[in-house]
Amino acid sequence: MKITVPTADAVAEGVVGVVLVEPEEARILVSLSDQLQALLAEAIESPIDDDSAMRRLLPDAYPHDPELADEWRRLSRRGLVDRKIGFARTLSTALATVVGDGIARSVPLSMNAALDWVRGIGDLRLVIADRMGIVIDGDDGTFGEPGLRDVYDWLAWMQDGIVQVLEVAEPGDGNSA
Amino acid sequence: MAPALDELLDEQLIEQPVHAAEVPWTIVVWNDPVNLMTYVSWVFRRHFGVDAPAAERLMMQVHTEGRATLAHGNREHMERHVEAMHEYGLWATVEKAPR
Repeated sequence: MKITVPTADAVAEGVVGVVLVEPEEARILVSLSDQLQALLAEAIESPIDDDSAMRRLLPDAYPHDPELADEWRRLSRRGLVDRKIGFARTLSTALATVVGDGIARSVPLSMNAALDWVRGIGDLRLVIADRMGIVIDGDDGTFGEPGLRDVYDWLAWMQDGIVQVLEVAEPGDGNSA
Repeated sequence: MAPALDELLDEQLIEQPVHAAEVPWTIVVWNDPVNLMTYVSWVFRRHFGVDAPAAERLMMQVHTEGRATLAHGNREHMERHVEAMHEYGLWATVEKAPR
């Protein structure tokens, strides 16, 4: 995988970054993103988060006030879950063609797509960290099955690379979301 | 940092009579072992519009002290910030501002 700043022509068309993806990389990302979408879809069905990963993806906004916490969940949860599903879907939709073609492809990212990728990848890392049992800074996790740590670190590298192209596209400080 | 000035401003704030419904609220971002320091700084710059040194200072405060207050204001505004932070995968909560 390689993440680069686009050519001037592509920038004019609204592209902020280009990700060169190998089919095997795309396959892993599509699989993870599909699992994340399924996990989030379950959260819509069940109002109680019995999965610790869900509690991290959708934290309590008022940990010390059950009444306000309930109200906030009622008003915000559905929208948040839908948007998070959307982030993951952007990833899997863009990468499904690379899996299908079976050859490396350059995937152009618009500003919105790049923001979806950054957040979708972040959510994937939160779930993987939970599955690995990472609870404190510098933690290697308790349940690290071989290879999972590599995927976790690879996702961090990918997220950082996309943040870097976003910083080129949105120079200076104070670009409010 | 200039604590003397901060304290002065805080005192002035506290002495203003505040209606119960307008009790100021804050958004707190908590440390987590997953998100990278560079990512957290970027989110603070992008969402809260703070400059790079301020974002770095706030990020380090989250990292070393476990939490930092990013903004204060009415509850509705703080809830919108929290929602945005959750979209970015940061662990954030709304709290009443200390009186």
